[in-house]
This record gives sequence, C-alpha cells and structure tokens, in this order.
Amino acid sequence: MIGAGNRNAWGRFAAALLGVAAVAAPAARGDERALEYNRDVRPILAENCFSCHGPDSASRKANLRLDQREAALEAGAIVPGAPDESELIARIFSEEAEEVMPPPQTHKVLSVEQKQTLRRWIEQGAEYQPHWAFLPPRRPELPAVRAESWIRNPIDRFILARLEAEGLSPAPEADRRTLARRAALDVTGLPPEPSQVEAFVNDSRPDAYERYLEQLFENPAWGEARARAWLDAARYADTHGYHFDNYREMWSYRDWVIGAFNANMPFDQFATEQLAGDLLPNRTLEQLIASGFNRCNMTTNEGGTIEEENLVGYTRDRTETFGFVFLGLTANCAVCHDHKYDPMTQKEFYALAAFFNNTTQGAMDGNVKDTPPVVVVPTPEDRPRWDRLQVELAETRERIEARKREARPEFDSWLAAQSVESLSALVKPEGLHVRARVGPLSDDAAAVTPDLELDVADFERDQPWTAAAWIKLGQRDQSAAIVARMDDQAQFRGWDLWIEGGRVGTHLISKWPEDALKVVAGPPIAENVWTHVLVRYDGSGKAKGVSIYYDGKKQPTVIKEDRLSGSTRTDVPLRVGQRRSSSRLENAALHDVRVYGRALDENEVARLAGLGRAVELVRLPADQRSADRVDPVYRWWLETLDEPSRELRGAVAGLEAEAASIRQRGTIAHVTQERDQPAMAYVLFRGEYDKRRDPVEPDTPAFLPPFPTDAPRNRLGLARWLLMPDHPLTARVAVNRFWQEVFGQGLVRTSGDLGSSGELPSHPELLDWLAVEFRESGWDVKALFRLMLTSSTYRQAAVTTPEKREKDPANRLLSRGPRFRMDAEMVRDYALAASGLLVRRVGGPSVKPYQPDGVWEAVAMPESNTRKYERDTGDKLYRRSLYTFWKRAAPPALMETFNAPSRETCTVRRERTNTPLQALATLNDVTFIEAARVLAERVLREGAGCDDCRADGMAERVLARPLREAERPIIQATLESLSAYYRDHPEEAAALIAVGESKADPQLDPRELAAWTMVANQMLNMDEALNK
Amino acid sequence: MHPYDEQLRLMTRRHFFGRASNGLGLAALASLMSRSGRAGQTGAVGPHFAPRARHVIYLHMVGGPSQMDLFDYKPQMADWFDKDLPDSVRMGQRLTTMTSGQARFPIAPSKYKFAQHGQCGMWVTELLPYTARMVDDLCFIRSMHTEAINHEPAITAMQTGNMVPGRPCLGSWTSYGLGSENDNLPTFVVLVAKASNNEQNQAISARLWSSGFLPGEHAGVSFRTSGDPILFIQNPPGVSASVRRRMLDGLSALNELTFAELGDPETRTRIEQYELAYRMQTSVPELTDLSDEPASTETLYGPDIHKPGSFAHSVLLARRLVERGVRFVQIYHNNWDHHANVAGRMPDQCRDVDQPCWGLVQDLKSRGLFDETLIIWGGEFGRTIYSQGGLTHENYGRDHHPRCFTMWMAGGGSRGGTIYGETDEFSYNIIKDPVHIRDFHATILKLLGFDHERLTYKFNGLDARLTGVEPARVITELIA
Repeated sequence: MIGAGNRNAWGRFAAALLGVAAVAAPAARGDERALEYNRDVRPILAENCFSCHGPDSASRKANLRLDQREAALEAGAIVPGAPDESELIARIFSEEAEEVMPPPQTHKVLSVEQKQTLRRWIEQGAEYQPHWAFLPPRRPELPAVRAESWIRNPIDRFILARLEAEGLSPAPEADRRTLARRAALDVTGLPPEPSQVEAFVNDSRPDAYERYLEQLFENPAWGEARARAWLDAARYADTHGYHFDNYREMWSYRDWVIGAFNANMPFDQFATEQLAGDLLPNRTLEQLIASGFNRCNMTTNEGGTIEEENLVGYTRDRTETFGFVFLGLTANCAVCHDHKYDPMTQKEFYALAAFFNNTTQGAMDGNVKDTPPVVVVPTPEDRPRWDRLQVELAETRERIEARKREARPEFDSWLAAQSVESLSALVKPEGLHVRARVGPLSDDAAAVTPDLELDVADFERDQPWTAAAWIKLGQRDQSAAIVARMDDQAQFRGWDLWIEGGRVGTHLISKWPEDALKVVAGPPIAENVWTHVLVRYDGSGKAKGVSIYYDGKKQPTVIKEDRLSGSTRTDVPLRVGQRRSSSRLENAALHDVRVYGRALDENEVARLAGLGRAVELVRLPADQRSADRVDPVYRWWLETLDEPSRELRGAVAGLEAEAASIRQRGTIAHVTQERDQPAMAYVLFRGEYDKRRDPVEPDTPAFLPPFPTDAPRNRLGLARWLLMPDHPLTARVAVNRFWQEVFGQGLVRTSGDLGSSGELPSHPELLDWLAVEFRESGWDVKALFRLMLTSSTYRQAAVTTPEKREKDPANRLLSRGPRFRMDAEMVRDYALAASGLLVRRVGGPSVKPYQPDGVWEAVAMPESNTRKYERDTGDKLYRRSLYTFWKRAAPPALMETFNAPSRETCTVRRERTNTPLQALATLNDVTFIEAARVLAERVLREGAGCDDCRADGMAERVLARPLREAERPIIQATLESLSAYYRDHPEEAAALIAVGESKADPQLDPRELAAWTMVANQMLNMDEALNK
Repeated sequence: MHPYDEQLRLMTRRHFFGRASNGLGLAALASLMSRSGRAGQTGAVGPHFAPRARHVIYLHMVGGPSQMDLFDYKPQMADWFDKDLPDSVRMGQRLTTMTSGQARFPIAPSKYKFAQHGQCGMWVTELLPYTARMVDDLCFIRSMHTEAINHEPAITAMQTGNMVPGRPCLGSWTSYGLGSENDNLPTFVVLVAKASNNEQNQAISARLWSSGFLPGEHAGVSFRTSGDPILFIQNPPGVSASVRRRMLDGLSALNELTFAELGDPETRTRIEQYELAYRMQTSVPELTDLSDEPASTETLYGPDIHKPGSFAHSVLLARRLVERGVRFVQIYHNNWDHHANVAGRMPDQCRDVDQPCWGLVQDLKSRGLFDETLIIWGGEFGRTIYSQGGLTHENYGRDHHPRCFTMWMAGGGSRGGTIYGETDEFSYNIIKDPVHIRDFHATILKLLGFDHERLTYKFNGLDARLTGVEPARVITELIA
C-alpha cells in the first residue's frame, strides 16, 4: 500500500501538504504543437476508456481494446488522419445516451478539451508510444539554458531549462547556516552540532560546502537516516502483525540495512542480498541476514486459519512488495484479474509470485519470536570465536567418533575381565539404603509389586538422596509411585519417586500442597521399553535442587510446587510400587530399585544407568553376546569409563556451553531458505487461495526485458534480471525514491507506481539521466546524494513568491529550495539531539521510550506478549527513533501521530499532513518537555547571567543560527511573562522541571529553569524547527 | 448550493460565533477568522442527495454473536438436540480448522426462551429484555452473509468491504463523503469498550479504523478508555492554561515572522493547528466530563455509565459526540466469540449491551437526534447451529458461520419494525432476501446521501469504492 497508514489525522482541520495539485507537464500551447501519446492522449484514455477497452480481457466490452493501435484500427475505432471516420470520435461527441462514450452509468465525462485532443491526435495520425517507463532509460542530451552561471552539475540544467520555459527563475542560494542545517538533516537525519555550523560558516575555501558534506557522509548517522526510509519499504517491524501480534526478534535485519548504507554498499548488491542472499555462492552470515527482507511480512498464528490461505497471503505480500519497491509497479492489481492499466496479466502476477512461493517459511508463526528458518547472529565481538567454535565442535565430535572406532579392542578385553561383582563395584555402595532387584531386566512380565516394607530412607528435608529404578511401563495413563516413603493418610508427608502420564518426578512433602515440593520431567518415557529412571535431590529444600534422568541423560523439568519448609520424615515404611496405601503402579515391570542417602555425581548416574545391561551381559556366555546386547554396553563404557572418550565429551560440553552463552549474548536472524524443489505457483481465480487454476513457473512479465537464459529460475536469477543494464524500471525507481527523500516528492510523485496509472514525471529527462548515471556509477548511493546535495537546485533558499505560489504551488518545478515538515522520527530525534539527550549508539535490540499509558493495551489481545508496554529506562529512552520497538497493531504513538505507517505492508511514500494532534504531541509529550528542560539547563549554564546569550545559544542548537533581531523581543516577552509566573508559582516550577526520568540540575534556580524550559518548548515548536 | 451544504455552512458559522467569545487569545481569534466558511474544504465530496442520516453510531459486537441465541428463533431445533446436521443443509461448506476435524456436527438448540414483541412481532431472546421493548424502532436483517470465516478478514470485510487490509473503513468513507460538523472534535471517533466478561477476546487493531488509501484526515481517532481520551491532550505538570497561552502567543508571533520571510502557506496552516490544539484542550475534557449529565441518564443507560471503558459509558460518550456534531462513532465490544461456554458468557454479553442500546435510542429520541442518527448493531459473522466441543442441554459452543447472521439498524432513516430476510430451520442457509455486506454498505451509504457507485476515490488507477467491484444493491425495504 502506498502512502497509507496514517490514522491520527483530523477531520477537516488537516491540510494535506501532498494534496495540492501537482504540475506534471507543461500545458499545451496552441493547436500547432504535435501531440504526444504518452503525455497528452494516454492519460485521457487511461482515465476514461481502458477499464472497459484496455488490457483486462475479462472486463473488456465489445471486444474492443484501445490500448493497442493495431486492435483499435482493426475495429475501426480509430482511422488515422480521419477523425470523422473514426467510431471513437463519433461516440465521444455523440449526444445520444445509448451511444455516447464513456457511458453515463460510469459517471465519467470527457471535457471539451479532452475530446478535442483526441480528435487532433487522430488527425495527426494517431501514433501510439509504449509507456515511457517500460522503455530503457537513455542518457539524454543536457538541455541548453540561458543562465549558465547558475549551473553546478547536470541536475541544474534540467531544472533550470524547465524553469526558464515557464518564465520562472530560481530562488537565490540559501545562506550557509540554512544550508548546513538542511544538508545535515538530509544526510544524517539530525541537526548539525553548532560547532560544525560555525566551522563551515567560517571556512573560506572554495570547496567548504563539499568538505562539510563529506564530514556528514562519514557520520554513521548517514546509514541510520537512509535505513529509516528503507525500513518503511521493507515493512520492518518488531512483531508478527496478525492476531496475537507477538514479539519477532528481527532487529539484526534492521542493523544490516544500517550497516549496508554506512559501507556504501552498491545498490545492486544491496538489492541482490536482500532478495536472494541465501542463494549466493559461499554466502556469508551477513548475506543470510539480508535475506530477512523476505521475512518481514506479517504472519499469523490464529487458530482456525487455513494454512494454504496464510501461505498464499505471505507469497502475495512478498510479490507485491517486490513490485512496489523494485519495479515501482502496482503488481497487486493483477492479483484478482489482469491489470487494468499496465500490460501485466493475472497469470504474469502469479508467475512472478512463483519466485517467492518456494521458501520454507511455515503457515503459522507459532507466536514465537524466532519462527523458523532462523540463524544465530553472535555479537560482532563474538563472531570470530563463534566461527572458530563451529570448527572446534565438529573436530571434537569427529574425534569422539574416531575413538569409538578405535577403542573396541580395549573394550573387549575389559569386558572379558568383568564379573557381576566387579561391575557392581563401579558405583560405590556408600549410602545405599535399599536395593530391590524385583525382577529380571529381561523379563517382560508386568506388574511386579512386591510386599516389601522397609524402615529405611526416612529422609529429612535437608538430606540429599538419589532414587533410581529400571521400569518398563505398559500404560502411561496413570499416576503412581515407583518407590515411596510417604504417608498418604497424613497429608502425604514423606518423599517418592513418582510417575504421572509417563513423566517421572518426585514429591517432598511436609503438608500437601502448602508445604511441599514437586518436580516432574518435561517429556514422558517410552511405553513398553525398559528405561532407567533416576531422581536426585541435593538437600537444598528447593525445587531447583532436583534433577531427573532417563537412561543417564538429564531431562528438562517442570516445577509444580516449591514451598517446602517443614519436616519430611514419616513413620510409615518405604514401599516399592506404591505409597503407604495408594498410588499403586499398574501394568509395569520394575528392576533394580535403588535408594541412596546421598546425591550421586554425574558419572555415577551415567554408570548406574548402564550397569544393569552390563551385568546382564556378563552373565551370558561369550557366544550368546549378540551385537544388539553388546553395543549399548559399549556405548555406555565409552561414555562413563573410557577416559579418552570422557575427556573429549567434556570438551564438547565446554564448547557447547560457550556456544550457548554466545547465543545468549547475540541475537538471531529470520532468513529466507529455498525449498529443494523447483518453484511454481497457481493462478488463483479472483486471488482466492482455494480457487486454483493453471500452475505457472517462475517468470517475469512479458512487457519487461526477457529473463536471462542462463539465470536460474529462482530469486537469485530474479535479482540478476532486475539489475540488467537495460532494465527500464530498477534504476528509475531507485533514484526517484532517493530524490523523494531529499526533495520531499519524487520526480514521479507516485513513487510506488511508475506504471501507466501513476503520474508522469515532472522532469522525465532528468529522471532518465539520473537513472543512467546511478547505474553507471556502480549503483553508488553516496555519489547520488552528493550529486543532489551539491546542485544549485538543492542549494536554493526556500523562499517563495506570489508568482511561484501561482505557477509552482507544490514546488514540483523546484523553483525554490526543498522545505517540508520533517518525518516522524526526525521530529523526535531533532529534539533529543538539540538538547544533547540523544544517545548515538548504533544498532542493537529495539527500545521502548516514553509512550502514554494504554496504547498497546487498548488493542492487544490478552494473550499477546506485546500487550503491556514496559517502558525502558536510562539510555534507552534517548536512542534514535528508528530503534523504537515497532508493534504493528499499535505503532509508536508519537510516530503514528506524524504519519509514520503501521509497517504492516510496504510503504514507499509517507503521507505528510499537519494536524492539531501533532501540535499536542510536540507541546506536551514527556520526550519534548524533558528535552526542552535539558536544553534550558544547558544554555543556563553556558550563558551564565546573559539572557541574550542564552537565547542565542538555544537558537543555535535548535535553528542552527543565532536569533534574529525581530525574534528577540518576542522571546524576551515570553521569558519575562513566564519568569514572573513561575516566581509566583514555585510549586508549578518544581513540577515542570521534574518531568522526565533525568533529574534537573540542582544548581539551577527551579523557577528560572521552568521559565527557560517553556522558552525552549516554544522554540522547539517553531515552524522552522519542525521543517527541514 | 445544495441545501445541505448551505446548512453545513451555517452550522459552522454558528459554531464559530458561538465559540469566539470563549476567552481565546487574539491569535486564536485571528485563526478562527481565517477558517470561517471552510466547510467541506478538506476533501469532503458532499452528498449526492439529501441524507437521511447525518451521524452514525456503529456498535460492532466483536467475535460474531450467535444469531440463533438472540434473534433468529428456531423452535424446531428443540427436536434436533444432539442429532447430526444433515449434509443436505451443510452442503460441503468449508469450515474453520477448529471444527473441520470434528467427527460429528451435533445440533445445539438455543437454551434460551424467546417471545414475540411489538407490533412487528419480532422474536427476541429472554436475555435482551430492553431490546425487546423497542423492536418497533429497530430494523432487523436476519439474512446478512459474508465470505470470511475468520475474525481478522471478517471484521476487515465488515468495516472496509474487503477481507484484505488496507482499504478505508465505513467511518472513513463517511468522513470523506460528508466531512465534519464540528470545529473542535474529530469527524470520526473510535471507542473500544471493555466487555465485563473477557473469556475469549479477539484482536482489535487500529488498522480497522485506518483511512486506507483515503487521505489520513479521514482516519478514525481512537479515544482512549483509560488515561486521556486523546493522546497528549494534557499540558505537562506545572504548565497551566495561562502559561500555555503565553507560550503560544509568542510561538504564533515567531511563526508569523517565518511566514513573512518565506511565504510558505504551510506555516500558516501550522499556526492554525496550534490554535486548534489549544481549543481542543478545553473541548475534549468538557466532552468526557459527565458531571453535567442529568440523573435520568443513569436511569436510561444503567449504572455502568460510571465505569470508564464500559459499553454503557462508551455509548453515552457516543451520544455526547453526536450531539457535538461528530459524524461517525465506532464502538467495539468484545468477547462474542463463543466457541465454548455460551451459557457462561452470553448472559454477560447481553447484560453489557442491552440496556445501554435501549437507553441510547430513548435518549436520542428525546433530544430530537434519533431521526438523523443511524445506529448499527452486529458482528462480523454468525455462528453454527451445531455445537463445537461438548454439547449438553445446558451448555454448548458454536463455531464461526458466515452464511447467515442477524444485524439491526435504528434511526437515521432506517425503517423501524422491519424484519427482513429469512433463514432455514437450522439458521444455516438463507432462504429469502439475502443481504451481502456490500448490499448493507450500499444501503448505509444511501441513508447517508450517497450513490455507492459514485462515492469513489482514485487509487491505483481505479475509482475505488466501499462496495468494491461486484454488483451491490440498495435494500429499499430497509429504508423508511
């Protein structure tokens, strides 16, 4: 969606800056001028005729199309040179309701001029032209101008030639301070430091301005400023968007974009890595992160939604985004039918969609922050170690395997020497309270519950212990004790080794449930498979002192109760397979039940788990020791008794722990991953997921250059196609959007639509010249900005005249310097920077600065993990706004007030309205009040005792200039009036300067500070401060 | 000039002269002077014919109320308890994945008693006694239908005419069409009411009141139910109205200097916006301060009017907004998504909305606003006759059902006492007079003075409209 998304604008108070009529092409002068199809005729036909007589075959009437010359001639609608014989002319001039075109029910009416234009065009031969944007740009001749001295670079020739043709002259050059401020805002998105401005103003070298610009380009804020606009196009956000709208850990992609601009990555590489970084040969982690561009779409996890419908929606979003961002086409129009205005068929849309229909992204986001596929992204400092770690891990694991291959003879001779006794001695008998063999490990007989009653293992709360058993469970659906000393008739006092739903756990109870501890393993054990289960308790009295093992492997646990404080000793005896009188184990076999009055160490646990099988094995004659009996014992031997293996395993554990902590410190990236099958898609009738028509293979629309024959039919091939030198759209679309960032509107104002329903360029030759220049410069983004910012066009003062307001109301002709209200993020960043509060750290997790209460809560679902906005503290309150956490269902309130989009879908052009809500925000929001106070403190300290110096100091920070004489008395009057007020109202002064988390300077007089705070608030709200 | 435009202009002037003596500063007065007679200038296209409704209060029951438990009385179903829904009725219709795996589709007759009311003889559930008293003022449509079967697309379709997000909603179209009647408040206000029972709420996101491709000024302004109703409306601590006034006087003077230097008309606009912001700081608290309401208000709407954010409170605010000339008030009330536990939730839901709706109608009538204010009540789809999950005589759940549901309108030129459309004995398929969402929208636009085919906005080269590209019809039987 283009330019939509603002929600806070207001009724009829709002004045849409962009709503002013645009000047697209010079008005026709007299009948003599030859008509041009693209400029003069096509807009009339497109507006009034094409929806019934255009490219869309489904809605075509009378089988007539007027968008193709041949067809129109054949039908007799147009007879070149003979308007009176042309049916088209007869129909549009007809006064019969049944005959006249367009038909009255369409509510479209041709003006007299439009009818005359069509008539003259046919008279002149009815020549057609392909749509301008679908022809490759060629570098045009530079036009001649009269005022040669004004020209600094080729941009100026195109602009001036047009101004001269319109009888306008450029505005004078802006003064250095204005220029310093404007350029800093365009390059870095921040106001310049006063010292930078002074140095530039006093620099008498001829290239002072260029030097000043270079200084700005070197600032990492350059990358942040460019990224901000790109993130709208990429629809980057920190939540999934639909339904729960949960957190999505996506910011590594945002940081990649910043880094790419700061490295001045060529735009072709920038595009390729985002579209297909995952498909590049020897791809790097960075390139994988870049492919997150295709993962920025909204996703859902709503129960009941249909998977295929979701997937179709995701692919469609990716395709439409590609269309808007790279092709500047409203490809979305062809989702349901052939495009009405551009020659893109519905089938071609789905062929394009096929490129994006082959990723492994699932239909449901799982409501998790790391929906697969994702990769680990260590911090920059950890990167070298992380890469090395992967190698070391692989090597060490290989050495474990090697040892396994080599150690068999050693094991065989060890085994030959073993007896039941020697094996049993492997686990020290210390503290063994009870050992019940119960039944043979090989026995399949179920339900062995012996009548055993022993007065042992009467453990107190602080007594460490271990309980273990072999169990073969015939039925998981039960809750029972494997071994217990527990009085279930006296509030369950005691302890047990427990199993519920197949999950092993334990209770330590003084009084159930209020004085008890209960821990259960996460996963269940397998049914009907002998498993060694073990619970170990460290005597700490806490649930985290309990560990649970299956077959010697530690299991994740769930803490169910953790409030044990009383004694756990009980008079009832220990029993196997039940508590005192209940919880009997059914349909299960047990073997070797052991209870130790100590916590076994890890190796003992592992040894114990394998001991049973080893004992069974040595009891067998050597010739009956089959491989399926020996192999498990060999593995056990390697893991618990073989020193070389044990050392290697220890090393792996150490490396894994290190890897885990690196993961912990770092982040992840949502990446694109291609399925290993050829890409395809279905044409969907009316775009509906369940109305599949023909299958289509990936392809690009026929009206654009053919797909390179040697390129793969995947996203990487698509990127290659996109960046072919002859591609008519890619470079035009890109330069047009960069132009828009600097001049406030693109050379084509509809920057997401260069197709035939978009507006015509104001300076078509300039657009082509820039497109070719950009491509031939090696897609050098900084060079393009340098070109724009050093032009005389850019350097004009923003001053307008009544004549220019009349002839060039929206400054489409650039008859003056660019001046427009700053974007949302800039408005906030500006106040932070001017006050000195801004924290300039680049990158990192998104932050949650001040926001009024309830913004998230009002719209979020109760289950959402982004329901409650928990404001950050300290530095995080003062980061640049592109780091603010972006929840799609409720974007940052302040940003939204200033026309920021929701980032739900691609936005390549923001709206720019001026509303009272914005005034309320910059007047009253904590951010702005705190910034005003901090700014006031600064000038109070720096300009001690001199109000004029203070006011100037403030102006230099806010306006990049000292106060003008006419302004001085106004500021003075405000100051005096407010100083008087706060002298009489000290408690209000105290309240005002307490706004914000930072503390007011206690050295300053609160009443004076309050008055100056409001002066700063006034200055930060000046039209000049809010405009570029 | 159309008589309606004329009146709009007069109203604006009345407002202006009425407010000018309100103790504003000189700059504010100057800004007001420059604004006089600007009605309709910011994009309102004006009606095609005299509107019947000049305001809309749209009460959206989020989640999809069960039509057969409220309005679509199906006594025959008593004999069908726990019997399977015949395949001949279901006709292979697609189901949400929440019940598509269910082995059976056992019928759950409504457990609630119904009775006929009013001259029109509308059947109404026992849970809505107040609504039952006013059926002759209401215009019931029992044959609404939609294509969407999940909440997000369904609410989006109900609000914007299309399941895919990004298009303007009804409120935005109304703002675009009719513009504002008020100088100090937004044209289109959204109130998200809290249900007293929150067993299963659905997402309500700001995209529902986005202006889509219409200019941003037509987006709904969501009044918050806690904290300040409008963001940043309060001066910061230690800044009184007089401090703000002094500061703004200086600010205007500074900006006038900028205007004199550069001549940018946007500077002028900014000066005006700051004065409007200042006036809103008075008008909004006055709007939300209910202390001037007579005691009878509580009798009408019920005691919940004292709970900020409740449905009753929101409806009362809606009346105050409409009284002040706000064009469109959208209220959302959640927790109608009764997949389970109808018995435990439906009574709470009905209690939340029943009396306030009745109170609103009576109140608007006594204030002479009923005839010009269109009230709309309903959800985004209906619910299934068969039970989702466990079924007993006492309790059951119902899944989403797009093929029929009930809505009602009142006032604003809608025809009271109408019972339009009919469903089969299972409340599953429509058997008479179906009303698609786009027909419903076309009818609403008609009441607002628009031919739905001519209320268009140029977007992506299309003359986009609320009712989309498929044919839509105005249901004249619903119009008084």
